[in-house]
Amino acid sequence: MSDDVPSPALVLDKQLPDTGDGPGGAPLAAGAAGRRSGSLTELASRYGLVGAFLLTLIVFSVARPSTFPTGRNAESILTSAAPPLILALGLTVVLVMQDFDLSIGAMIGLGSGAATDFMVTNGVSWFFAVLGVLAIAIAAGLVNGYMVAFLGGSSFIITLAMGTVLTGVEFAMTSQNTIYSGFSTSFQDIASKDFLGLSHQIWIAAIVAVIIWLLLDRSEIGRYMYAIGGNTEAARLSGVRVRVLRMTGFVIVAVSAAIVGLLLTSQSGSYAPNIGTSYLLPAFAAVFLGAAVFRPGEFNVAGTIVGVIFLGVIQTGLTMLDLATYMINLVQGGILVTAVLVSRLGQRRAG
Amino acid sequence: MTEEELQGIRTVEVRGLRKVYPGVVALDGADVTIPGGSILGLLGKNGAGKSTLIKVLAGVVPADAGEILVDGEAITLHSPHDAAAQGFAFVHQELADVPNLTVAENVGLGLGYPKHFGTLVKRRALRTWAEKVLDRLEADIDPGASLTSLSVAQRRLVTIARGLAANARLFILDEPTASLTDDEIAHLHKVLRSLRADGVAIVYVSHRLDEIFSVTDRVTVMRDGNTVYSAATAEIDKATLINEITGSAIAPESRRRHVLPDGAGELLRVEGMTAPGTVDDASFTLREGELLGIAGLVGAGRTELMRLIFGADTAASGTVVLRGEELKINSPRDAMAAGLALLPEDRKEQGAVLDFSVRKNITLTTMPRFRVARGVPIPNERRERASTREYVERLKIKVANPEHPMRFLSGGNQQKAVLAKWLGSDADVFIFDEPTHGIDVEGKEEIYDLMTELAARGKGVIFISSEFTELVGACNRVLVMRDGRVVSQLEGSAITDAALVGLCYSH
Repeated sequence: MSDDVPSPALVLDKQLPDTGDGPGGAPLAAGAAGRRSGSLTELASRYGLVGAFLLTLIVFSVARPSTFPTGRNAESILTSAAPPLILALGLTVVLVMQDFDLSIGAMIGLGSGAATDFMVTNGVSWFFAVLGVLAIAIAAGLVNGYMVAFLGGSSFIITLAMGTVLTGVEFAMTSQNTIYSGFSTSFQDIASKDFLGLSHQIWIAAIVAVIIWLLLDRSEIGRYMYAIGGNTEAARLSGVRVRVLRMTGFVIVAVSAAIVGLLLTSQSGSYAPNIGTSYLLPAFAAVFLGAAVFRPGEFNVAGTIVGVIFLGVIQTGLTMLDLATYMINLVQGGILVTAVLVSRLGQRRAG
Repeated sequence: MTEEELQGIRTVEVRGLRKVYPGVVALDGADVTIPGGSILGLLGKNGAGKSTLIKVLAGVVPADAGEILVDGEAITLHSPHDAAAQGFAFVHQELADVPNLTVAENVGLGLGYPKHFGTLVKRRALRTWAEKVLDRLEADIDPGASLTSLSVAQRRLVTIARGLAANARLFILDEPTASLTDDEIAHLHKVLRSLRADGVAIVYVSHRLDEIFSVTDRVTVMRDGNTVYSAATAEIDKATLINEITGSAIAPESRRRHVLPDGAGELLRVEGMTAPGTVDDASFTLREGELLGIAGLVGAGRTELMRLIFGADTAASGTVVLRGEELKINSPRDAMAAGLALLPEDRKEQGAVLDFSVRKNITLTTMPRFRVARGVPIPNERRERASTREYVERLKIKVANPEHPMRFLSGGNQQKAVLAKWLGSDADVFIFDEPTHGIDVEGKEEIYDLMTELAARGKGVIFISSEFTELVGACNRVLVMRDGRVVSQLEGSAITDAALVGLCYSH
């Protein structure tokens, strides 16, 4: 059609409470009023997940008063939530820019396999082994990012294929042999020692969280990343280096996956082929859960943290209740769906 | 699907059609008579109401008042399906087909394919059937070909074939010859004449007066949502038609046109800019302190040329020289660094991040200015807010709180916020692509003032607009683009509405 139709914006113009009343522009009521009238639902959408989180904490504490609400249990939940959190934080960065990375599970496996190959098979010191693994992750992230951001491949497909490639590289390095020994104590200490009464893993996750938070929420780059996610073309026309930043996102998530691979290997002092696969979907679940809280509809660091810990609590709590496995599955799925729907519902009414 | 039978000749009439969008009267009592077996040319400037009229007939938007009569009987159109059932077929300006299906599948789309056992599509039967329809159009198109392998002209013919297959008795073609070659246009006209001979009613919407004179039997001119003129094509001349399109009584310009200061030096020179299919060897210069208008019809290549200059699209060839220095521009980022700014045509798709707050939108282009400390890429939000407040006041952006998402703003205020984003940059050349689109009169004046102010400060301002009157009112020079080229220019008092219409519409 040609161009003599009023733009939708114009139509929208008056659907919102009118703004143009008189000189000087009387304060716009639209947003404010909308917010006020929907304050309860908005509260539900913003903090619904936090509420559900607290509720599950209470339920588990009442059901298992002697074992669940203890410092030791809290530390154990946090420790086991640390690797998933690191992964989910990295994933948040790419998701903010509307990209997917399905190769992170394989990257965990490759990180673990490469570390094993370097240290156990080739006798490299743990320090250089870690550097080597991080270098591999950076390379993998660059390849993903180049193919997606510069060559225009769909991130979904590219990273799915890349995952297969990474697993192939892992198996080539380790011949798929499970390895139980040969890791130095200093390497194993990385994940298993405590600092100030908390596992190193918690501290590492906390450091990663602070870095990603600074990046996404405080820095210029984060602003650009959110702009890319909001409207890629507008960001590009505003001079944002869209392709470089998207590629950077893939590097960040690959590095975080490699860190997870290193931590898992260090903690167990062993290598098993392809250990990362089971971490892939929970990471997505956590980040999407997180997008239903604090800043509904937007992936955000605080939300991701809540999402990961929530999932960890549910897992631990349900296990402590001695439920049958099928019940754990049912309840876990049910809680997830309810938590997301409650906040979505609030969002729809508020917006 | 069987061979269709010729139905009785139908006359479609539109009586007193009215459609009001909030803030805009799109149709204000339009009357059109479309007799079967004839071709009616529908003309009017952008915003005259042609598209709305077409949308009402297509059942896409409901009319507020008025009626549509088919052979004297009132009908109601609630959906595109109703329109199809009435035998109305549309060839829209943009291709509206399914590119991943074959030609035959497109021709039969929605008509029910021939099937084995009522489920599996009989591919061969469909193919021969489609072939027969295409033969009637003398279209040399393989029914098994995928649509993506066809030219624009061929795809339009496929759309016509689909109407034909659906027994359409009224065809409405909106700018059907945009981006067609002369031979393709001639073929299309031949097809239309043969449809006319079969008793089909045809509405031919075009800005190209030569085509209107060569193919139509009658013309109807729309202005401000009204049908203001109707005549037999044979009895009128071009001058009359242009007069009717512009409206004979053009309001005297209330504004004082921008005057170029004496001895203004060359600021920007664009030479031989070319991109296949859109821009063809376009060249022009821009002086310091100049407010340069770009006129042209939809598809003339105005937006495309500016996007090439700004590095938003890649040019096949051409140079951009700023202050005597040739620029190497590979991306908008390069262009910005060189001192160019582009306010894109489509603010929703290209201008604004709607989920971002007004503040974040406005500061997006100038982030490094708000750093907490030199070299530390962390923005100081307090200073961002202060700067945003300034723009909100200066541009009279109506927003309760600049921290609210852009989505909450009205269209005009969104446009102002996007404008603010660029005003903050230290550019030497500002390109505004349809900056007043969808903005009310008062807002338009503010934007003209802004552009004039920039020019007065020695900046170069390029102003693309489809509303000739605002180019006449604001610019000291206007370039006219046609078919991807800069074909002529008007300066000073020579810039008139009639002159622009004449230059843009002649082919």
